[in-house]
Amino acid sequence: MVGLAYDLLANPQGAVRSTFEKAVASSGLDFDPASLDGEDWGALDLFRHFLSDQTHLSQVPILNGETVKWVRPNTLVRFRGMIQDMLGNEFYVGAFKDGDVWRTNKFMDVSHFPMPMASTSSPHMRVWERRLLYCVPVPGRNSWTEPSSELVVNRCVDCSSHQREKRRRMDDEPVDHMDMLVSDEGFQGSPSTKKMKEDGQPSMSSQTTEPINEGICSHMSMVPSIDSDSLPCLVKIYDSPESDLKLNDVFEFIGVLTFDSEVSMDKDDQDELSNGFSEDVLVHLPPNKVPRLHCLIHRKLTVPDFLHSSPTMEPKPHVVKEIREALLRHLTAVLGDDSVAAHFMLLHLLSRVHTRVENIAVGKLSLNLTGFSKESVSLFGHRLSLAVKDLLPVTHCIPLTVEYLNSASLAPIKDYETNRLITGVLQLAEGSHLIVDETQLKAGTLNSVGVDNTRLLKNLMELQKVEYDFKYYKMEMAADVQLLIISEGKSNILPADIVIPFQPTSVDSSEVRAAEALEAWRWYLATVKSLPHSIESEMQKVVENDLVEARQSDRNIGSQDFNRWLTMGRLMSVSFGENCLSLEHWQMVKELERLRRERLK
Amino acid sequence: MASDSSPANFNGPTSPDDSYSSPIGNTFSSPGDARRRSRRRSSTPSAFATPPPNQSRFATSDANPALTPTPSSRRGGRRGGRRATSTTPVNAAATPTSTDDAPASSEGGEGYDADDARPTFVWGTNISVEDVNEAIYRFLKHFRDSSTASQSEDGLLREGKYEIAIKRVIEIEGESLDVNARDVFDYDPDLYTKMVRYPLEVLAIFDIVLMNMVGRINPLFEKHIQTRIFNLKSSTSMRNLNPSDVERMVSLKGMIIRSSSIIPEIREAIFRCLVCGYYSDPVVINRGQITEPKICLKEECQARDSMTLVHNRCRFTDKQIVRLQETPDEIPEGGTPHTVSLLMHDKLVDTGKPGDRVEVTGIYRAMTVRVGPAQRTVKSLFKTYIDCLHIKKTDKSRMLAEDPMDVDNPTGRNVEDISFDEEKVEQLKELSKLPDIYDRLTRSLAPNIWELDDVKKGLLCQLFGGNALKLASGASFRGDINILLVGDPGTSKSQLLQYIHKLSPRGIYTSGRGSSAVGLTAYVAKDPETGETVLESGALVLSDRGICCIDEFDKMSDNARSMLHEVMEQQTVSIAKAGIIASLNARTSVLACANPSGSRYNPRLSVIDNIHLPPTLLSRFDLIYLLLDKADEQTDRRLAKHIVALHFENPESLEQDVLDLSLLTAYVSYARKHIHPQLSDEAAEELTQGYVELRRRGNFPGSSKKVITATPRQIESLIRLSEALARIRFSEWVEKSDVMEAFRLLEVAMQQSATDHSTGTIDMDLITTGVSASERMRRENVLSAIRSIIMEKMQLGGPSMRLLELLEELKKQSPGPEVHLHDLRNAVSTLASEGFVSLHGDTVKRV
Repeated sequence: MVGLAYDLLANPQGAVRSTFEKAVASSGLDFDPASLDGEDWGALDLFRHFLSDQTHLSQVPILNGETVKWVRPNTLVRFRGMIQDMLGNEFYVGAFKDGDVWRTNKFMDVSHFPMPMASTSSPHMRVWERRLLYCVPVPGRNSWTEPSSELVVNRCVDCSSHQREKRRRMDDEPVDHMDMLVSDEGFQGSPSTKKMKEDGQPSMSSQTTEPINEGICSHMSMVPSIDSDSLPCLVKIYDSPESDLKLNDVFEFIGVLTFDSEVSMDKDDQDELSNGFSEDVLVHLPPNKVPRLHCLIHRKLTVPDFLHSSPTMEPKPHVVKEIREALLRHLTAVLGDDSVAAHFMLLHLLSRVHTRVENIAVGKLSLNLTGFSKESVSLFGHRLSLAVKDLLPVTHCIPLTVEYLNSASLAPIKDYETNRLITGVLQLAEGSHLIVDETQLKAGTLNSVGVDNTRLLKNLMELQKVEYDFKYYKMEMAADVQLLIISEGKSNILPADIVIPFQPTSVDSSEVRAAEALEAWRWYLATVKSLPHSIESEMQKVVENDLVEARQSDRNIGSQDFNRWLTMGRLMSVSFGENCLSLEHWQMVKELERLRRERLK
Repeated sequence: MASDSSPANFNGPTSPDDSYSSPIGNTFSSPGDARRRSRRRSSTPSAFATPPPNQSRFATSDANPALTPTPSSRRGGRRGGRRATSTTPVNAAATPTSTDDAPASSEGGEGYDADDARPTFVWGTNISVEDVNEAIYRFLKHFRDSSTASQSEDGLLREGKYEIAIKRVIEIEGESLDVNARDVFDYDPDLYTKMVRYPLEVLAIFDIVLMNMVGRINPLFEKHIQTRIFNLKSSTSMRNLNPSDVERMVSLKGMIIRSSSIIPEIREAIFRCLVCGYYSDPVVINRGQITEPKICLKEECQARDSMTLVHNRCRFTDKQIVRLQETPDEIPEGGTPHTVSLLMHDKLVDTGKPGDRVEVTGIYRAMTVRVGPAQRTVKSLFKTYIDCLHIKKTDKSRMLAEDPMDVDNPTGRNVEDISFDEEKVEQLKELSKLPDIYDRLTRSLAPNIWELDDVKKGLLCQLFGGNALKLASGASFRGDINILLVGDPGTSKSQLLQYIHKLSPRGIYTSGRGSSAVGLTAYVAKDPETGETVLESGALVLSDRGICCIDEFDKMSDNARSMLHEVMEQQTVSIAKAGIIASLNARTSVLACANPSGSRYNPRLSVIDNIHLPPTLLSRFDLIYLLLDKADEQTDRRLAKHIVALHFENPESLEQDVLDLSLLTAYVSYARKHIHPQLSDEAAEELTQGYVELRRRGNFPGSSKKVITATPRQIESLIRLSEALARIRFSEWVEKSDVMEAFRLLEVAMQQSATDHSTGTIDMDLITTGVSASERMRRENVLSAIRSIIMEKMQLGGPSMRLLELLEELKKQSPGPEVHLHDLRNAVSTLASEGFVSLHGDTVKRV
């Protein structure tokens, strides 16, 4: 195999070059560089083939605040992140003639060979383009999703993950019992990072240990400036259709890490074009804060990709049912033995927007738990948010107060000074979960920011859309966020699809969650959520009749209610791992609605 | 075109000020830029053999020899940009027409062989300079608009379009000549292609030819005139700019988001010796730098490091960098807008300000990025920008901002027409000829909301609008149609409002609950910094000539509502606050929606009592729709079906045969702009009769205040509605059928056919809104069948008949579709409301 000539992990650019030379050689003397415009000459196939092997893939270190300290530049790395901003296209000299030999600059920042003076129309040079994407770690990602590096490097997954789970449990429990409003990230974050240091270093294979130290030395200077929690990354994408990568998508990028130290020198060399305003966005992204990644392969990530357990489990009905029961029990316990609320909670956790028709986002199911008081919030609210954190990979919590509304920047805003999209709280990845705690909201006056923010929240709730502020116009971006509202009474600011008074009957939750169970629940939520779903024509008749009947008996029932019931029906049958709505599940939905209506009275 | 940075210039030796011979004269210069690629080669054999790497565009030598220009040429090039002084040997050699070159040409032809007969080529291409030169000359000289050319045989005697234009430019001492690229294409497609492909070279020749012509017309004219090309045949999307576009002429649309301050850019520097006071010759910028002479050039002095820049005598040009961003409609889903930098020079500086939508024609350029300030090494990266040649402001955001129904167009707004290209117009006209266009448009309006066909028809009328009229006496009649939707919750009023808001130009959406009086009209505010009082427009003023959508009209304070009185009839807003008295135009249609007074419609109360709005305000609405939620199983079933389909089926399958939003918008705006229907005599007659009838019915004995009686306002409404209906058909005449439809709309709107005039209440069974056209047709059939039966079988004051008997009779006569007792009862009660029969329990009696 070709790849063996080069170490694809340590010297990917070498492989790129060698394949390029090969391509040039194969086309003989009359090599036309234009033929490679926007094309791959076989380098990607090489990497694709190499990385399709799981063991090879696992050897590729994941780039984050920790690993960036020892990963050497110009090696292969992985980065998992959300596309936060798009910085447009960059033109570069893709191929050029060095004497008589054609060279390429693809997948690198600086040429390894002396380049002739650049000029765009010279026959000795081809100008190609690449896209610049500014990526950040997925906002609100929970620590358990961190694909810890020891797992990556150690191939004996079993023992380490077992061990890790044990540790995690120990980590989590104290937090659980202390009903404090401490951000648990601090708790969970630190042990895991420590772990990474412990395990990460020694586990490196012996051959690479030397260069690592080298790397540390040479790049020591830049390390302190990196915030280890949120390492952004500037990803350069080659030859991929625009529609592949969208704003707010979560991707795994595999590519060549470069520290383009020379760019930093540009700072004092603001050339004339940048007179007046800083032309080059890169100036604001110094390479010592934002590493560059020349992407070879990118892959969209979905929730199952964040799970540790192998995704080979088949969603068999009886397995699914068992897990469902266990999860329901867990949710019921978390919700103080309120099983009706737990049922709704389960459906809520499974909801996602699956179609959009005009302004209607079909499939969303926001939940409003009412009846919280100051006291019960500190107990149940906190417990609930912890439970959600443990179950879903990406979660957020907004404590809604007048001050918060008046000051927070929820929507992303385009800053034309720097030509960057400044992120806002509501710039969320698809499938994020958002808890809005309305219990702390007191009477007060909203200023214009506050009014705008409430409108944004309401739009997100009703349409699953967030307006991004581009100053001269607003642009609506589709979102898919699960919203859970905790409030005293029915929230009017955030009209949820389902309002249910929360009626806990017991306070203590002594249940100990087994790590395996937790893993299983995560797997369950992730897998079942994405199941396809349909309806038989007979069942369709039944549903239609039920809807008509309901409306005939109560004129207040409208299309909103219909939408809600059908969404619930879908989620209910999906929660059993089934693809088709059955009468039984439809009855369950109706029963749930009945119970809810009773409570509302 | 040789750039800016190129050390050599355009006409090389002759005029130093030509160093920035690029049309845009950009001066940033990275070393890389200095290596101009597109070189024009003279035919000098030596040059042919090995093109020097650092060629200037025209001269073969890359030396920059004679730095002593003749005064005249320098003066000629006083202002910015492209300085195509006439001196180019190239054209001297090539075009006999250019013999009358400006005097300065002589020196410096060094590299040139003026007598060389061989053609000169643009380096690296097969474009012959002579040919291009010739072609441009021919174009400028002979191009005529196709219309004028075909018109007369003596076309040759008449002056070409651009000859006239050139003379005009000379007359007004202008600095640029706008050349429509489409004209170039029409005249000489080959030239067009060359121009787009090699704009730098071709434009330089263009300028030269132009200056020659100018020189011939007026030899004393010394100003330099630049060619500004605009209106390229195809415009590129910013997103699709790619490396192959570099160095080509492109045209883009976008929105200006930032513009830098004006940067004075040095062109020529003059130094003075501090020791002896000697003034140096002008030093031209070279690769973006001016080299300060190390020693005084005066032979007697020769002091070292004594030279200092004399700012007053240096020559500067204006430069500005503008950032252009994609317009929202070009951004694909899930993308962020792209931006591109524009470089503006001289006259173009400050032509657009942030927020403007513009169409820009320019040359896409790429510039290398230097690694370090003083280093020659370049990175493999390029920065790109557009050298701007021409900038045109395009229409403001939404369609139809300008409305022709306004007679006196008092606003000084930039009336840039929304141009409909011919194809589009054809398509729209085709559409308008469809017999079912009215229904088709109705279907296309908010296709996601079912039923409510009549409401949609009303809204359609509102979108199209009537003709505004201003009499010589000063009285004016509005053409805007105001609509109020009153209805039960859950009848998708708000969705309709949102939809119209999206569709309509300058639509403003506001909620009555939140908006105070000031929000709706105008508001005097104090500027926090200066303390000045400023007038802030409210929703109504902002939606001038658009539609103002007011949700929750019933929740609005009385005070705010009262402001609407003036707006809805006089179409102005008057403000008298803080010493400011102003009357602002608010020619807006109002679309409001409200819940009935008891939040749900109470059938036991009269319509007026249910709506519970002051009659003064009510009468200003042309159409008041009661959207009543009637327990109708059919509707419910349809709703249920739709929602089930929404959840479980491919949403694509839900699509109906409708016009898409953009086509609908285009249709509406075209109609509003170009169609101004007039009442035909027949229609006028129909109107008069109908109105009299309406009045009569309103005066039904005993109805007193309980029903909305017809007023002269109604007849105005009817005229507006019929005009709008004619517009929908693209018809210049209001026909009788339009008037009849207008009457029907008016009736349906108020559920008048269902209203019991004696009590003013509505018979819920008679509601026709929300009933599809086919259903209505069926009911009408039943109605007419019964009417004829009754006419046949019953005598006036004769014996009564039971409903069941009638049903039997009906079934006998029309064996077709099944008729239910329920339908029959509806029909009979309709007849009863007409006073044709009386219905007591189950017995029908003719009266």
